[in-house]
Amino acid sequence: MAEAQSTTRKLPYVAAITDGVRAVLKEFDNAFVIGEDVAGAGSVYGYYNGLLAEFGPERIYDSPISEEAIVGVGVGAAATGCRPIVDLMFMDFMGECMDEIANQLAKMRYMFGGSAKLPVTMLTMAGAGASLAAQHSQSLEAWVCHVPGLKVVMPTTPYDAKGLIIAAARDDNPVIVILNKMSLAMTGEVPVEPYSIPLGKANIVRPGTNYTIVALGRMLHEALKAAEQLKEFGIDAEVIDPRTLQPFDTTTVVESVKKTHRALIVHEAVRFGGFGGEIAAQIQEEAFDYLDAPVVRVGAPFSPVPFSPALEAHYVPNAARIVAAAKQQLGL
Amino acid sequence: MGAPRGIVGIIANPASGKDVRRLVARASVFDNQEKQAIVGRLLHGLAATGAREVAYLDDPQGIVRGALEGARSDFHCQAVTATRTASALDTTSAARAMRELGCAVVVTLGGDGTNRAVALGWRDAPLLPISTGTNNVFPRFVEGTIAGAAAGLVATGAVPIRRVTRQRKLIHVAIDGEPDDLALIDAVLSRERFVGARALLTPEHLVCALLTRAEPAAVGMTAIGGLIEPLGARRPGALWLELGPGARIVEAPIAPGYYQDVGIRSHRRVRQGETIEIEGPGVLAFDGERERTLRAGQRARLRVEHDGPRVVSVVRTLKRAARRGLFLRTQETTPSQSEPSNRTELE
Amino acid sequence: MTIQISDATLLDLHRRMVRIRIFEEAAGKLMEDGKIPGALHLYVGQEAVAAGVMVHLDNADWITSTHRGHGHLIAKGGAFDRMFAELFGRATGYCKGKGGSMHISNMELGMLGANGIVGGGPPIAVGAAFSNKFRKTRNVACTFFGDGASNEGAFHEAANMAGLYRLPIVFVCENNGYGEYTAQANHQAIVDIADRAAGYGMPGVIVDGMDAIAVYEAAGAAIERARRGEGPTLLECKTYRYYDHVGVRGMGLKYRTDEEVAYWRGRDPIRLLESRLAEQGILSAEAAAAVHAEVTYDVQAGIAFAESSPSPDPSALLEDVYA
Repeated sequence: MAEAQSTTRKLPYVAAITDGVRAVLKEFDNAFVIGEDVAGAGSVYGYYNGLLAEFGPERIYDSPISEEAIVGVGVGAAATGCRPIVDLMFMDFMGECMDEIANQLAKMRYMFGGSAKLPVTMLTMAGAGASLAAQHSQSLEAWVCHVPGLKVVMPTTPYDAKGLIIAAARDDNPVIVILNKMSLAMTGEVPVEPYSIPLGKANIVRPGTNYTIVALGRMLHEALKAAEQLKEFGIDAEVIDPRTLQPFDTTTVVESVKKTHRALIVHEAVRFGGFGGEIAAQIQEEAFDYLDAPVVRVGAPFSPVPFSPALEAHYVPNAARIVAAAKQQLGL
Repeated sequence: MGAPRGIVGIIANPASGKDVRRLVARASVFDNQEKQAIVGRLLHGLAATGAREVAYLDDPQGIVRGALEGARSDFHCQAVTATRTASALDTTSAARAMRELGCAVVVTLGGDGTNRAVALGWRDAPLLPISTGTNNVFPRFVEGTIAGAAAGLVATGAVPIRRVTRQRKLIHVAIDGEPDDLALIDAVLSRERFVGARALLTPEHLVCALLTRAEPAAVGMTAIGGLIEPLGARRPGALWLELGPGARIVEAPIAPGYYQDVGIRSHRRVRQGETIEIEGPGVLAFDGERERTLRAGQRARLRVEHDGPRVVSVVRTLKRAARRGLFLRTQETTPSQSEPSNRTELE
Repeated sequence: MTIQISDATLLDLHRRMVRIRIFEEAAGKLMEDGKIPGALHLYVGQEAVAAGVMVHLDNADWITSTHRGHGHLIAKGGAFDRMFAELFGRATGYCKGKGGSMHISNMELGMLGANGIVGGGPPIAVGAAFSNKFRKTRNVACTFFGDGASNEGAFHEAANMAGLYRLPIVFVCENNGYGEYTAQANHQAIVDIADRAAGYGMPGVIVDGMDAIAVYEAAGAAIERARRGEGPTLLECKTYRYYDHVGVRGMGLKYRTDEEVAYWRGRDPIRLLESRLAEQGILSAEAAAAVHAEVTYDVQAGIAFAESSPSPDPSALLEDVYA
């Protein structure tokens, strides 16, 4: 639970990441950061800026461009008593290290009958919108949510970024922290002191009475805009940020749907096979009798992320598409 | 230049330059890609002299086979029948096959151990050793291209081999109740108990050594004697050392990058043909590597003779070729200038 | 300097090898009799490697293993009862029956698991070595892998990182000449994995993997180097597995000649060591036979323990997914 939060200040999301990592490095002597360009360059997005100077080269390691070995260091070091923060520059690079993530990191504890502990925090960057095209823009949370043994969080605000990173590091399990590159500049109030946001607990960002929107990652902000626009149709939408996708807070979502009787799920990832399908299934399993309309999903179309800004604008879901989907669902 | 009549044998030892002396000492590493490149240059040198007949040990890596496949000249080549044990036995059996085949010269890539394995199969082989090993007293560092030219010159008869070879000394080793053995440079008794990882690296265990050569400017057991009383390859006889705590200590590079203090109890010159008897327990090391164990009371007799491999001098071979103008020709005045000329191959 | 091996260590080496051999022979039979579920990859023939490396390690030194991993755990001190229980899928196994042969492990013994993924071990061992260095211990990590794994990107990434950070790790390649059913000549362009070391700024050396004393000396030199902070080593052990890729007869494929198998069996690492120890008066034939008998008894006791152990309760299914 949140700790004493005396002082806050406005920080951009990028600096809140730094603040979270700094807090982890201060809290745990056995924590270190390893990844591509994390030390000298402070990461390509600058979210480790200053940490090398502050903590020295024995805590922040520039690695070779070797994603499998980077995650391997996380696995081996965590199992043997460290609390590593491994940085995977872009989530798309999971393809380079999926064995380490899915077969080693996620499964070691279970395969060993519970004798190993793997407190690995993996920070990685997802999201489209920067014309980085098909291999630097994906939202692949569904890949990792499908693997037992991993925890997955998606911080949507500066406050969440710091709090979820600290929570991830304090957790004794591997936690993948999916950051969003289009959110780096957004600002928000962030407490100076360390605090953690409980894993597995959704955040009702906007309470509402007759409509539920579950929004993943950066789509939260589009959902909040959509909620404002839907007001004119008499819709008072409750907007839920799950914060943690694995373990997923089914209870909060189901309770909301039982109250509102309608649900829409939005994520940036490709809709087909996306995590929204899992949420929709859980809603119909737990709250079928409460539903007044089929659950609707909004996601990216079934294509790779395009390069051209003109195409990418059509690719990434936004408030207008959420509103359109909601209106269609409700026959407005 | 000479007709392509003599067969050039090639033995490239894939295992040379890879033992534990890279960890304990600082010996250089010869990867097989480099060995293949050396053989490639060797073949180029051979082709330049018109030599075309090659017999080789087909090692598991295919060092020579691969180099032959990559050669731009056509060779009549054959893999000799040899064991495939991935051990020194393969080298020994290949050398034996090359003797039976009547090879004019055998080019080796390896260190002292490789050439010793050749001598075990063909005691007085006509050898042109290229160093790719750890201890390299017997073979020299020589550019493969030039080694190939020298081998080609003697194989084709362009340079008479008798004029450019010198026979080397050899230590004949007879062991009670067991097969004979031999060494090219040194035979050492160590108080170790096992052959193990083979390298001879613990000076406190050295008991005695017989050296055909005592080279102050070389690495290995030979340096121990070389720094006391040098003895060259061409001088008769050998040097006998009794080692252990004694009046003197010599600081000698017993392996590459590995100077150690070695206690000297005594030393003396040994005549050719004189037999020295030593007794176990211990391990007999030949040319820097532990090879045979001696049980307590088991005896071995060591004797130096001047009947070892006949080593081709690359420098002398090429000097003779130069004196005879073998690589020279006059500008050809052909009717058609469009014909490509200047093939690297002579003849 | 080479490490001079004591009589006690020689006997220790011998016992570890015999323990592996008799355990594996029994396990193979149990699998072929249908008593052990799933797949077993037997270590028989390669015993000198595990033993020759492991006698230099204590429980605080980490190893990662392969799908052929029983030998590594036994050499690291694994107990037969809990190992057999794991192979049988019983609750009393090292992994409570959740790992089985391919994931057998024990953290207290410093054994970071057999691994079902070829090349899975090296990156993890690099992490353990990183941790040793980070925590300023003198402990090392040893990662066992085969000629097949040396073609995996994971090996190359791991080796590069180990070289870069000068980590206290030994890459122990058990080159048994085959990646599953494919001969080395058909899966890589080289024969000496040690040649790959130069690309990662570490020495690569070759040792006879059938000769426990040779492995002992070379591994000792590599491990001491790592403990002194001089960085990683690639130690290639030329060895052979007697049985099939899986099980004893496996799929019954004919991919190796009888002559080849006979040649390597003729260099049996246990017989080789026993003849040397007998020659030196360290272990008589009778004493060696006694070791075999004792170990055979222990193996039978281990099997009995496993057979009489309960299967895991279904409620255990969802335990240990998360801490």
